[in-house]
Amino acid sequence: MEGAVENMRREKRSKKDLKVLKRERKTQHTLLKHAGITTTQQPTQYLVVSNGGLGNGVSREVLLEVLKEGGAVESLLMPPNKPYSYVTYASVEDAQNAHRLLNGRTLNGQDQEVTLYLSYVHQVCGEVIEVAPPLPPGLSVVEDFVSPEEEAELLEAVDWTSHPEELTVQKELKHRRVKHYGYEFRYDNNNVDKDKPLPGGLPPQCGAVLQRCLSEGHVDFLPDQLTVNQYQRGQGIPPHVDTHSPFEDTILSLSLGAKTVMDFRHPDGRAVAVVLPGRSLLVMKGESRYLWTHGITPRKFDVVPASEDEGSGVVTSDLSNLTLSRRGTRTSFTFRKIRHSPCDCAYPSVCDSQRPPSPPSLPVANSDACRLETQYVHNVYEEISAHFSSTRHSPWPRVRDFLLSLQPGDTLADIGCGNGKYLGINPQVLSVGCDRSASLVGICAERGFQAFVSDGLNVPLRSSSFDACISIAVIHHFSTQERRLAAVRELVRLLKVGGRALIYVWAKEQEFNKQKSKYLKPNQNQRNLDQGSRSETMETMQGDEEHQPENCVSRSEERQTRLSVHTNRTAFASQDLLVPWHLKGGAKAEATPTQARVFHRYYHVFQQGELEELCRSVSGVTVLESYHDQGNWCVVLKKTQKDF
Amino acid sequence: MKLLTHNMLTSHVKGVINGYPLLIKATEVKVNEVEFNPQFVSRMIPKLEWSALIQAAEGLGHLQDLPGTPIENYENDAEFLRKVHRVLLEVEVIEGSLQCPESGREFPISKGVPNMLLNEDES
Repeated sequence: MEGAVENMRREKRSKKDLKVLKRERKTQHTLLKHAGITTTQQPTQYLVVSNGGLGNGVSREVLLEVLKEGGAVESLLMPPNKPYSYVTYASVEDAQNAHRLLNGRTLNGQDQEVTLYLSYVHQVCGEVIEVAPPLPPGLSVVEDFVSPEEEAELLEAVDWTSHPEELTVQKELKHRRVKHYGYEFRYDNNNVDKDKPLPGGLPPQCGAVLQRCLSEGHVDFLPDQLTVNQYQRGQGIPPHVDTHSPFEDTILSLSLGAKTVMDFRHPDGRAVAVVLPGRSLLVMKGESRYLWTHGITPRKFDVVPASEDEGSGVVTSDLSNLTLSRRGTRTSFTFRKIRHSPCDCAYPSVCDSQRPPSPPSLPVANSDACRLETQYVHNVYEEISAHFSSTRHSPWPRVRDFLLSLQPGDTLADIGCGNGKYLGINPQVLSVGCDRSASLVGICAERGFQAFVSDGLNVPLRSSSFDACISIAVIHHFSTQERRLAAVRELVRLLKVGGRALIYVWAKEQEFNKQKSKYLKPNQNQRNLDQGSRSETMETMQGDEEHQPENCVSRSEERQTRLSVHTNRTAFASQDLLVPWHLKGGAKAEATPTQARVFHRYYHVFQQGELEELCRSVSGVTVLESYHDQGNWCVVLKKTQKDF
Repeated sequence: MKLLTHNMLTSHVKGVINGYPLLIKATEVKVNEVEFNPQFVSRMIPKLEWSALIQAAEGLGHLQDLPGTPIENYENDAEFLRKVHRVLLEVEVIEGSLQCPESGREFPISKGVPNMLLNEDES
């Protein structure tokens, strides 16, 4: 009886052993294949511990504790970002003991469960200990700059909820949360609107901290701009240099709530990772402020020095002294002082005052085209959406006619629908709109229309499922011929065979048949600057009330490909231009009219026949109508064949 | 996003072949009252991918015994059309996401608006 039970037990044990053995073999194979580590069956003092690495969330402390169970650990090397480590035991026997005890051992960590596999290796390399790199020049980290009580008070001072009468400007950026005080830092041009200080100034709770910065000699001025960034675990900020022209030298950043590691990089490639403990003050001056980029990698753990692990310091490549620090929610208070004169730093190569951004050129490569359109079309519409929408209220008669000519029950796609102006014209028709601007699509939704955010070159709608498509004042924003053609192709793809598309683009020829378009004609109601009450005559492609001669300097082109800035309400000098938009009104503007912010939008204005030719070059398409309407070239096309 | 719109949407992630229909993951759904126009609903039915509509409605818990295919002579069945009207035009996904059935890529829906923008490497 006992013998049988004993056999069963042995069988069960060996089944478990077999499983572990199988996994161990697999791990060894992976080690060899992916990490180039050759394991051996012959016992040595040296073991590689798979799944026990900084790269898979195992800290030095946790691993050491487990490994010590096996015997006397001579050294433990943990390469950062690798899912394995090397342990050297004092003797082969200790290593064997560890192998027997710990192979297949599961660790129950804070976030995960890992299974360790130990394999013998012939040797352990990587014991070279480099001298810790110095901090970037001008950089210092002052620990314990605020007390825990002060930290709590500062964190509480920030109100992340938004109110319409909010004094500060708060934006939900793609990753971290941001809030500005004093002046708003704008992420579309990485600069500050110096003429529009935010009412309210800096929170009074910052007073003591700022005085301390002054008295301890970190700065010799009182900062007047504050940006609060809140990073959840896993969030970061891409590497960047704080723009030179808006801010003086010495930037102070207080780290609250949690520690993090900030990466600094010099243009020549040198990189330094600096630990910023909670409640520490980061002082960036000179080279570290003007030349080195700084950033925070979005991740959940940082690799930090194991000894004096609560303190600051540079992260070294000493594999025997690294461990993991779990990220927490960190809030940074970055204090800066606004400059009121151009920057005169010693680093002109990266200075936007000393090397102004060159005007854009007409792109050739698709990636350049995307970048140009992002800066000079998408970002602009996001900024001006409210004002823009207010100037786009009257449907153009011939577009309306087209829409009303559709059959009840027809399906319509408005590609580049803007504020949804045309989505409700024909209620008998199913209308769906899409636009690249989330703000404008939001306005469509507010009005009860069905719309989504999408690019015009890749529309997520089923092919051949629409009776009609419209593209009104859209395709002239694509900056290469290929992209304009691709936009037309998308419209055709969406159409059923027999379906029609209406396309309107801005014409280079604003005067046609001896008739000037409304864009060129001076407006009757120019005096009326009030955003809401615009008359019909204001409704043109441009929507500006006044002729502003000065800001829009029409530069003669030095090189063929440079984009010139157009002067509003004049004839177009060339086909590819930047057309100014003077932003009026909006929540952030003052009650009295001040100098409006100017935005430049990219346009390719079409010549006579160009749109028609573009449409004809798409196969399976017939041009039904081609005409000029109020400064636009217009085409109605019909899809005659299925797609290939 | 109404289910009528969802019926038209498809995944446009690069390389995906079967990107339709998108799976709806809703965290907030609203049912609005929309004026019932039986002719409009009747005209919409042949334009729809009916099975995708049923699947979507079921996923949101608003199937309300709609059949697997439209009933015969639906044009004259006001009760049927009312049910279709509700599901097509009155049920609205306010918050959630749309998921590509092939790639798993999720597109967020916020305040009723789907954001279908792709990253540079996905398009």
